[in-house]
Amino acid sequence: MSEQEKQSFFSKVRHVVTDFIYGMASHEMARQALKTRGSMEHLFILITMGDLLGVPILPPYYSLRLLPYVVPQVSTWKRRMLREKDLTDALA
Amino acid sequence: MALVMLLVSIVLVFLGYQYYSKKIDQDVLQADAKRATPAKLYNDGVDFMPASASVLFGYQFKSIAALGPIVGPIVAAQYGWLPAIVWIFLGVLFFGWVQDYGSAMLAMRNDGMTLGGLSYRYISPRARGLLLTFLYIYLLLIMGAFGALIAPILAKPIAPIGFIILVLAGILAGQMTYRWKVDLMITTVVTVLIALIGIYIGTTAPAQNIVGWINGLGPDSFIHRPLGYGDMSWANFFWAIVMLLFCYLGSVLPIWEFAQPVNYTSFWFVLLGLFGSMLGIVVAAFTGSVNTSFELPAWITAYQPHLGPIWPILFVTIACGAVSGWHSLVSTSGTARQLEKETDALPVAGGAMYMEGVLATLSTIFAATFAVSGGFYDPEKGYKLMKGAGGVFVYGMAKFMNVLHFPMDLGKAIGIIFLVVMALTVMQLVLRFMRVASAELLGDKMPAFKNPHFGTIVAELLTLLIIVFGFWQWIWVLFGGSNQVFAGIALLLLSIWLASEGRSYNWAFIPGMLMYVTTLAALLYVSVYNALWKGIVQSWGQGSPGFLVGNLISAAFGLYMVVAATILLVDGLKAFGKAKAGQLATGD
Repeated sequence: MSEQEKQSFFSKVRHVVTDFIYGMASHEMARQALKTRGSMEHLFILITMGDLLGVPILPPYYSLRLLPYVVPQVSTWKRRMLREKDLTDALA
Repeated sequence: MALVMLLVSIVLVFLGYQYYSKKIDQDVLQADAKRATPAKLYNDGVDFMPASASVLFGYQFKSIAALGPIVGPIVAAQYGWLPAIVWIFLGVLFFGWVQDYGSAMLAMRNDGMTLGGLSYRYISPRARGLLLTFLYIYLLLIMGAFGALIAPILAKPIAPIGFIILVLAGILAGQMTYRWKVDLMITTVVTVLIALIGIYIGTTAPAQNIVGWINGLGPDSFIHRPLGYGDMSWANFFWAIVMLLFCYLGSVLPIWEFAQPVNYTSFWFVLLGLFGSMLGIVVAAFTGSVNTSFELPAWITAYQPHLGPIWPILFVTIACGAVSGWHSLVSTSGTARQLEKETDALPVAGGAMYMEGVLATLSTIFAATFAVSGGFYDPEKGYKLMKGAGGVFVYGMAKFMNVLHFPMDLGKAIGIIFLVVMALTVMQLVLRFMRVASAELLGDKMPAFKNPHFGTIVAELLTLLIIVFGFWQWIWVLFGGSNQVFAGIALLLLSIWLASEGRSYNWAFIPGMLMYVTTLAALLYVSVYNALWKGIVQSWGQGSPGFLVGNLISAAFGLYMVVAATILLVDGLKAFGKAKAGQLATGD
């Protein structure tokens, strides 16, 4: 095994161990933070862009003003909103 | 002997993974790294989000490893260490990884659906409703079994002060990370150090005196237990309430404020205990500083009077270390939605199960090595387990960490923290889920259940009822039985899906049916023979009303699960027949 191969091997091992410890210790925390943010955004888009799903809450004038800022998230938001949900999802 | 056992388990894990699991992965399910997974297809940065295999391996292992692989082998060792270890190896190799990996693949190939949706799609519409009510009782039994085990451990004088300081350090970690935006490395060093000092302080005489004073405030027989297995002391009752308060906070407070940071800080002690004791076994084997030969006989009996016959009881007593329905919930709800590539499913879900088998082996080693001379098993009473199973693990861990010059008391305190954390992490999640489930199932008819505090308090009162009046080893068997039935259901679902796709299914169907038959037999043994026949019919007119009611509750739990599991089995087998004939309508 050459010096370069050795270095690459050890760096790979270190990477795997670091990821494993992160997965055990912090991954759940990171997911939870994202979920909290996600549910806030979910509600925000529902209030501002509800008419995309047939739930008009805000007058369309304001929705149109906000639309350019929300466009990048509209497709994932609609998918989350309309996806069939089950109680066992809550265990995730 | 301890080292040999550990090495044998590692070699078997390697062989099973390399020559059986990989073959199924490549030849039967044909995992394809190029096929888009739900994590990539529906990436919303929240529920569906790709993560690397090594991160998910850590996540999956942490999520599945609770008290099951630790406590089960210690209880089952009352039949001898050999049957316990043989079931762990067979279970992991032919049942455990199949279920964990299969569930992840099943969910992944069905757009990330979880078990409720999958049972609706593949078994029948009523299967989803039955599964949810079954799940509620199963989770309640988890709360009862874990709670009854943890309360007496927390009551030990060296434990509570350290635990309370650890919780405070965890809350501080949450504030530092999320409010004050302190670097995670600094947060970790500061809070883990505070917790370590706290655990050490907990082992000192003044701290133990404070706990002793609290424990002495009430009598030893504080609550009379009608089932006749010794009264509950004030100390155990008080610390059970503290534990439930902890779970209550974990259930109703925002996760970032309490549950997550406390779990994060505690994790480092779990890691320390796990690797410290494994290293201790290796060092002890080479230096001979402690005797690592087994004190417990390889074979003791095929019938333990207070537990029952080796079949089916042993196979449900060792649940998570061999196969566990809980894992299919984790695999489908969490992991399947984060797998970046299909080929990651085997190392992540299967690999974590294999590693849990090693943890269960470690627990068996602790039981077999020191527990007889430590006074836990009584040779004169057929090696009956005389004290709490958690104590065996704590004592074993402290002994092996002592080889590395950890003081015995500190080792015991870390062992206790290890156990308490493993249990409470799951209990908080379970309580949170029970609250959501009761709001969903009963909220329309009884609006009070929509209030998170009400739902949580009801679940906690039911848990307290089990802790106070239940006989722990029966509750453990009922919990193990429901857990294994859940595994049977997951394997049945997997078989139906495999048959509907025209793939080979016997590698999942045979273990599934074996699991079903064994667990239904165990549940019937506990509910019909022990509770109904011995506890009610034979004791009619002799026991107190409380004794009869206690047995009736045990019987009701067991019988409900038997009925629900049988209906699911009948519906499942019908669907399986249709799937084999290519007539299963799945709504695709």
